[in-house]
Amino acid sequence: MELSRRNRLVALTAAVVALALSGAARAEVPSWCGPKKASLALLDGFGGNSWRLVTTASGKQEAALCPSITKYEYADGEGNTQKAISDIKSMAARGVDALVVFGDAGPAVLPALTGAYKAGKVVVPYRVDVGGKEGRNYTKFIGSSFRDDGVSWGNWIRSILPDGGNLLFLSGPAGNSQGLDELAGLKSVLDGKYKFLNPAPFDVTNWDPSLTQQVLTAEISKNPKIDVIVSDFGPSLVGALPVFKKFNRSIPALATSDGNSLGCFWVDNHQDNPDFKLFTVATGNDNVRLAVDWAIAEVTGGKLPSEQIFKAPVFENSVTGQPSPVQCRRDLPGAIYLSAKLSGDDQAKAVNK
Amino acid sequence: MNLTAEEPVRPAVPHGMRRVPLARGFLTVVLSTLGLLLLCAIFAPSAVAPGALAGSLPFAAVLMIVGLAQMLVVQQGGFDLSVAGGVSLAVVIATHLPAGNDALLLPAAVTAFLCAMAAGLLNGLLVGVLRLNAIVATIGMNALIYGGVFAVSGGVPRTTTPLLAAIAGGETAGVGNAVWFALAILLIVTFALKTTVVGRRFEAIGANPLAARAVGLRVRLYQTMAYVCAQILYCVAGLLIAGITREPTAFQGDPLLLPSVAVVVLGGTSLLGGRGFPISTALAAFFLNQLSQFALAVGVPYSAQAIIQAFALGLGIAVYSLRRPGRNRKSAGRTGRLGKPGNTEEKHGTVTS
Repeated sequence: MELSRRNRLVALTAAVVALALSGAARAEVPSWCGPKKASLALLDGFGGNSWRLVTTASGKQEAALCPSITKYEYADGEGNTQKAISDIKSMAARGVDALVVFGDAGPAVLPALTGAYKAGKVVVPYRVDVGGKEGRNYTKFIGSSFRDDGVSWGNWIRSILPDGGNLLFLSGPAGNSQGLDELAGLKSVLDGKYKFLNPAPFDVTNWDPSLTQQVLTAEISKNPKIDVIVSDFGPSLVGALPVFKKFNRSIPALATSDGNSLGCFWVDNHQDNPDFKLFTVATGNDNVRLAVDWAIAEVTGGKLPSEQIFKAPVFENSVTGQPSPVQCRRDLPGAIYLSAKLSGDDQAKAVNK
Repeated sequence: MNLTAEEPVRPAVPHGMRRVPLARGFLTVVLSTLGLLLLCAIFAPSAVAPGALAGSLPFAAVLMIVGLAQMLVVQQGGFDLSVAGGVSLAVVIATHLPAGNDALLLPAAVTAFLCAMAAGLLNGLLVGVLRLNAIVATIGMNALIYGGVFAVSGGVPRTTTPLLAAIAGGETAGVGNAVWFALAILLIVTFALKTTVVGRRFEAIGANPLAARAVGLRVRLYQTMAYVCAQILYCVAGLLIAGITREPTAFQGDPLLLPSVAVVVLGGTSLLGGRGFPISTALAAFFLNQLSQFALAVGVPYSAQAIIQAFALGLGIAVYSLRRPGRNRKSAGRTGRLGKPGNTEEKHGTVTS
């Protein structure tokens, strides 16, 4: 009797555990992952920098969450528009069901995307606007709201400089739409009390650390009072900020995007530079995750995500520590982005491979 | 020289200049530089402020070294388009191999120099011995070197070592170490070219390879050595950039290609080969760098900055070219007397002036 009761207890426990495990397994499959089996390809226009390597690894990790994806492929256009076009066509011809595309070349890849879409593939370009229309040239475009980044920076600037101040805004190549959108966001929040010292619309740096250093040297020399530097690629400033020391001036407040090297630079230098406050938004590696979610939902019959545009979350704030204080992982390479969902160690693996 | 016989047909040359024959282009580049400094002092005083100069001169130094390297190749009637790859390879070797560890910097620098010599030797063999077109051969070599850049770095930037940052980015006697390096290289190149037997032969071979071969000089060896020396200098420039820029990208040599040729032309070295003008080339590098600082400091939009730079560069070359007609008549007359075809006038000018 005693034995039989114990047996029943064991059986009951086993049943409960099995039920819990199966429930957990079901819960791990995200809602955007449907039952239909499919293959997916991630196509990069240019894959040769750390941001792209982390982004690619993030996309792969996201796709691996869905067991319905039976095959995952990746192609790097290597900065060559013709190769990028050929990659898109070749993936479609090889029978890949869904394509997630970083269209670096812009509208130049639109005909190839349209061809793949008309051949019945799910096509999701992301981050870079390729022109065209949803439902005609591709399935869905997952852009990034650079304007929101500008708004986040602007709100922070207002919080640290309520009485106005002098701003310097640095972006990438001349006329890049990311910089223009960010500026629109900044200006929607900042009124006339905030003066932009740079030539309109922004100082051109090509996101190149060496050119950034030269541009910043000229601006520091020209402007005796710079209260805030706004830049959409924080890590490229790491080489340039020590220029302030040459002028015996404190590094000013900085509103930018995150990077491990930048975080460590702040940790090393903020005590000697009393004005050096840091505010970052996520560099946006996780934009690819939303694009992959959409592509998989469309191709496997899963639930479509509610988000249609990627909004980079605020990451570090050295003043309030909210949502997080400045991050620095010295054991990891400088060229990783601690704001990304992919763990720092996985990023280090992706970057050092 | 035949200068006295030609005086009546060169009325445009001021009287004083005839007594002190100056290197072709030297006067132009000195006057242009002085004029630019004057413009800076009037319209953009911040561009000549001590802090601005301290920040921008290291970049002028790098351009100076790359320009001197390109000059050596141009003196042999060639072009070296592998400058971008050569500089970038040195940058990634100096940052990736040590990975922040100062103890590994020396082996990395030695590796960088060995790679540079191998690339230069290959360039030299293709152009000097196999007689391939210099532009085609060095473009191919650039692609090959970039293969090495990706193999070492995967396109990912890495933070430089503290020792290299101190050596290349530090200051001695108030002047950036990079400037001292550039001046030392300028001295070495000038003395080697102008006062040694090897240097004189090098220039003579560049001026007329056929005549040089006829008198028994080892033309192919000298032409090959021009490419090897150029790559060694690119390597020095790359190591300096790796130190000056805290987190250099893997493509740091790309923006140097066109300026490297521009400073050689501004310095007055004939693109057909022959006599080289190291001091003028070095001054031209300072001129170009100061020009971009001026354009930045006046604070005009980026489009206007580009126009100012192009206009000044065009003016510099035009001023230099305006002095040509008198010289051409002189050379044509001389070649006429020698009974040689007139198309060699440029080379005669470079040898005899």
